[in-house]
Amino acid sequence: MKREPFVYVTYIRTTPEKLWQALTAPEFTQRYWLQTKQESAWKPGASWRAVAPDGQAIISGEIITIDRPKKLVFTWRNETKPAITAEGYSRVTYDLEQQGASVKLTILHEMDKPGSKLLQSVSGGWPLVLASLKSLLETGEPLEETRRYVAC
Amino acid sequence: MQKPKLVYATYIRTTPRKLWEAITKPEFTHQYWGGARNVSDWKKGSKWEHVFEKEADPVWITGKVLESTPPKRLVLSWADPDRLADQSRVTFEIETMEDMVCLKVTHDKLKPGSKMLRGVSWGWPRVLSSLKTFLETGKGLNIFCK
Repeated sequence: MKREPFVYVTYIRTTPEKLWQALTAPEFTQRYWLQTKQESAWKPGASWRAVAPDGQAIISGEIITIDRPKKLVFTWRNETKPAITAEGYSRVTYDLEQQGASVKLTILHEMDKPGSKLLQSVSGGWPLVLASLKSLLETGEPLEETRRYVAC
Repeated sequence: MQKPKLVYATYIRTTPRKLWEAITKPEFTHQYWGGARNVSDWKKGSKWEHVFEKEADPVWITGKVLESTPPKRLVLSWADPDRLADQSRVTFEIETMEDMVCLKVTHDKLKPGSKMLRGVSWGWPRVLSSLKTFLETGKGLNIFCK
């Protein structure tokens, strides 16, 4: 039986363009997303990876769909834990929808493999990273717990 | 068929006490919860109500306090006053971490396919996002008009 995808919705007082930048640009991600940065040419078919401070790729994948600043779809494979790497590629969708002075951000993380340890792991990670991103955009400061790289 | 369950976790730069008060004091809830006030003495067994004072029919949700362990755990029964037979349950769990708290809200015993399920699926991410913004910036989010 296919495992239910992980879905998370949050509302952030910002604009779609600022949120898009915060989700993808290193000057933001390094502050709230465990000091990582993302490398990609940001076109359909282009490779995508998230990189730790020491340069090691921790997540790898490919851009599927890009419609800045509204929608991004890309694949995601963990590169740090062999048992999870072996599960292969999952798929992540970001939907950004302006709602007044806020943006509704929907994250969908899908993995066809039942009993996926990857999905279990990101189900804990997404709410924390997104909470830190929200704090950064709304108050200027990310949450303390997500400022430094931790292998996961 | 198993009854649907919603689980929502977020992390807020605040203290457990401030978060507990934001959820339980009407002078705070109306600032971020779409204008509604949560009213109760929050003791186990007491009634609680979710009230929109300016409405002709002000009580939108009612229930009982099932468990109350301030500032860590609050469990409420939850029903539309016009449909009291359909009782669901909401659990707030507050855990202290470094400079923040983790708030986990579980809404279970919901009736599959019900208007209440649709309503709270729409509502909880809005309310909890607005709550976080309220505690961290002093003002809730204006995201409650459909």
